[in-house]
Amino acid sequence: MPHYISVILDDERYSKIKGTPLEEKITYLFGGALRSLIVEVPEEKSEKILKAFDKARIDSRGYIEDIPVAFRRAVFEEIAKAKSLDVIDKVLERLDEIVEAAKKEDEYIPPPEIE
Amino acid sequence: MPLIKTPPPHGGKLVDRVVKKRDIAEKMVAGCPTFELKPTTLPDGTPIRHVYREIMSVCYGFFSPVEGSMVQNELERVLNERRLLSEWIFPYPILFDISEEDYKALDVKEGDRLLLMLKGQPFATIDIEEIYKIDPTDVATRTFGTPEKNPEVVREPFNEKHPGYMIYKMHKPVILAGKYTIVNEPKFKEPFDRFWFPPAKCREVIKNEKKWRTVIAHQTRNVPHVGHEMLMKCAAYTGDIEPCHGILVNAIIGAKRRGDYPDEAILEGHEAVNKYGYIKPERHMVTFTLWDMRYGNPIESLLHGVIRQNMGCTHHMFGRDHAAVGEYYDMYATQILWSKGIPSFGFEAPPNEVDYGLKIIPQNMAEFWYCPICQEIAYSESCGHTDAKQKFSGSFLRGMVAEGVFPPRVVMRPEVYKAIVKWWKVYNYPFVNRKYLDMKNKELEIDLPAMEVPKA
Repeated sequence: MPHYISVILDDERYSKIKGTPLEEKITYLFGGALRSLIVEVPEEKSEKILKAFDKARIDSRGYIEDIPVAFRRAVFEEIAKAKSLDVIDKVLERLDEIVEAAKKEDEYIPPPEIE
Repeated sequence: MPLIKTPPPHGGKLVDRVVKKRDIAEKMVAGCPTFELKPTTLPDGTPIRHVYREIMSVCYGFFSPVEGSMVQNELERVLNERRLLSEWIFPYPILFDISEEDYKALDVKEGDRLLLMLKGQPFATIDIEEIYKIDPTDVATRTFGTPEKNPEVVREPFNEKHPGYMIYKMHKPVILAGKYTIVNEPKFKEPFDRFWFPPAKCREVIKNEKKWRTVIAHQTRNVPHVGHEMLMKCAAYTGDIEPCHGILVNAIIGAKRRGDYPDEAILEGHEAVNKYGYIKPERHMVTFTLWDMRYGNPIESLLHGVIRQNMGCTHHMFGRDHAAVGEYYDMYATQILWSKGIPSFGFEAPPNEVDYGLKIIPQNMAEFWYCPICQEIAYSESCGHTDAKQKFSGSFLRGMVAEGVFPPRVVMRPEVYKAIVKWWKVYNYPFVNRKYLDMKNKELEIDLPAMEVPKA
């Protein structure tokens, strides 16, 4: 059974996929106020993710939650690059780099630049 | 139906044990032995409690009628029946604990006055009435209950993953019991200073400035999302012949779990709700209580009732999983306590229906979610589209915040999110982490004016 990762799209992220075929795959939540892309993760690959990040878990909906920010950011980066949701292999190729970045997340997460 | 009025303080009178006149304070402490207050820590050194917060809450009357560290008979009574020796109900042991080594070094006895130092300055005294020893694990276990002894609501044995259990388990074994008195009034730092409304002042503001006759309390240890906002707005429709006049947000400020939001963001996040008109300030006020949260669900709700009644609230909203962590308690434990009582914890009836109980009126609330069919934020007990619900999940929101995604205003108000980001920039982290706990333990929420201690 596959699992899923939800990638939230704020305006900045949305602008990077606007006008591509991905736009049709957006799921709308909260009356359309929140946009997300759902990435399907085959079971053997979700096991790899769970193994890499000890806090990660599968929730009751089958979504992989409590994964590091670095992982989610990498998922979106690959989506934006490939203009496709079929990116989990590309993300897993970067796993070592993501694990290293995630280690620093207990100490520091860069704040967003907002006014 | 008679109109509801401000209830009296719990125990009949607000405790006020703060000496404001310097000459009197100096006479009180002249020649006293001194002891620098220390945090309670986990075995790895993580600070999880600072007794100064309890001393503040006792002396300013938040915990009225408690006046200090409990004597042994009172501790037993609280653990067995959740009552003080004066009969008034009270949920938690309040103890001044020190190590065997400190006890030997101090060489104090019953009848002595000990001057408690904080950040190197005189802070408070304890007039030692009794000295006794505890088994901290036993106190921790009996404080929260067990599945065997409290089968109505305890689902799992408490263990080292529970922050409140660990606070009591890590208490030192020697207890100095007696009344506390603050002799050197601390000054709160920003932003805490503008939210500091101890009970006497809070009652005065409610009566004379806000002119609220009925006030519903909202417990928080969280930055508010729109689900919390709806809870406040809708719970406030209770009252008597009209909805409650005011909503009093009372944040619990102190050591928290990793992953919770920093205290400063919690206070300013709630402030943003009224500052930007989501609930206008004429109807909404943000305050705090110093307390290292025990996450004791029904037991914690009793303390919340005590605090907020003392602050002058007529009602208190209680949600599911109130002040809870993990699955140690039934998710409805607090609502069970306030709707029918929990006999094994000493309540054959709800805490507001027993002798020497509370006067505050509970308002048990279920859940709010977004319903895409109703196209509005719906109340779970009203909305029939359960399958379509979109929940305000805390972990979902934390994930969004951590990613730096600006939440839509239907989920979190932009000004609330900006309060999170403001403190994120200060601490380089959006949530409580070890670094924040260490900093907080060192800096605390207050500073103390310099004070000379005269020799006897």
